[in-house]
Amino acid sequence: MKTHILAFALSITVCLGARAELKFDKTEIELHPTPADKQAVGHFTYQNTGKTPVKFKSVKASCGCTAAQTQKDEVPPGEKGEVTATFNIGDRTGTQVKTVTVETDDHTNPHTVLTLRTIIPQLLEVTPTFVFWKQGDKPDAKPITVKVGKEFTVNNIKVTSSSPDFQTKVEETGKGEFKIDVQPKDTNSNLGTTLTIQPVDSPKLFYATARVTGAPPAPMAPADQKAPAGQAAPVAPTDQKAPVGKTAPSGQTH
Amino acid sequence: MKLSLTRQALVLVALSLLPAVGEAIYFRGKISWQSPIPPSELVSVDQARTWGENVIWVDARPDAEFARDHVPGALSLNEDRWNELLPEFVASWSPGKKVVVYCSAESCDLAREAAERLRKEAQIPDVFVLEGGWEAWLKKNR
Repeated sequence: MKTHILAFALSITVCLGARAELKFDKTEIELHPTPADKQAVGHFTYQNTGKTPVKFKSVKASCGCTAAQTQKDEVPPGEKGEVTATFNIGDRTGTQVKTVTVETDDHTNPHTVLTLRTIIPQLLEVTPTFVFWKQGDKPDAKPITVKVGKEFTVNNIKVTSSSPDFQTKVEETGKGEFKIDVQPKDTNSNLGTTLTIQPVDSPKLFYATARVTGAPPAPMAPADQKAPAGQAAPVAPTDQKAPVGKTAPSGQTH
Repeated sequence: MKLSLTRQALVLVALSLLPAVGEAIYFRGKISWQSPIPPSELVSVDQARTWGENVIWVDARPDAEFARDHVPGALSLNEDRWNELLPEFVASWSPGKKVVVYCSAESCDLAREAAERLRKEAQIPDVFVLEGGWEAWLKKNR
């Protein structure tokens, strides 16, 4: 019995000694891009601490907004390298956590999940980004609050309406806070505008939308528990024209 | 001999359990056992279908995925071009309409994030995430 256990332990030790092993210095990186940055790049450095080469089978990002790549397909023993994860910020806000799954032929540790945590600074927080009036409503002004991010200073903001059918008035309501009063000229027909909000001394633009919407839809028979009675749609939305000129990295779950 | 084999098997099982227990303890807080979306904010394909035309389908996937295929009549609203696409969405919305947001599958989080922004930032009510995403819709419709 003792001999068998000894043989087993010895074989495990031999196997462990001969194995390939890709060790990442960090499997989680936190990035702090500036408001002007369009991308945030994380470098996950690794070393093959084993005695045989390690081959990458696949490197997949959890989101189309993140592209991940390795410098090489095979890592010889002792060699170092890095997996680069590029996160496209787009119009995202707040803290974004994306993962990259690295698959190798290392049987002891075939999958490694790398986490990229990106803290996107918010220069302005606009709430709500959409205000509306129903047709026939009293055309009273509706407020939009603009809060300046804690780490920033904005002395004033400029608001532009894309349509002359809406008027805006900006008021500073406190330190680092503004109120935009939006008012339609009337609510007799469907109207809409995009409000562009720009802090002075910053090229960054923020947006809000104001609309006078159609009358509430005509009643229909309630179909199930979740659908409130007395609501139905007049028209289904028209199919959108597919945007062109953008691609997403393959092998991702969107 | 038979007893010896059993003993050896037990020793092997015990040895293999050690790293398993260690890993379970180490990763305890890192494993997500539950969907982050509350059931009240989820809607199944069948349920959404019963809402008929009183629903706006929102595709939260990237542009290329949307261009390849999407739910008929769906609007694209992804966070790559949120500021540009949101006005198109609100132009189609009217009070009383339900909004069903989807991404590719159960595991993706784009729909959850887009739905949360619609609720919190645009303050649009009745926003749901499609259970099973685009994959579930395909299974039921094609």
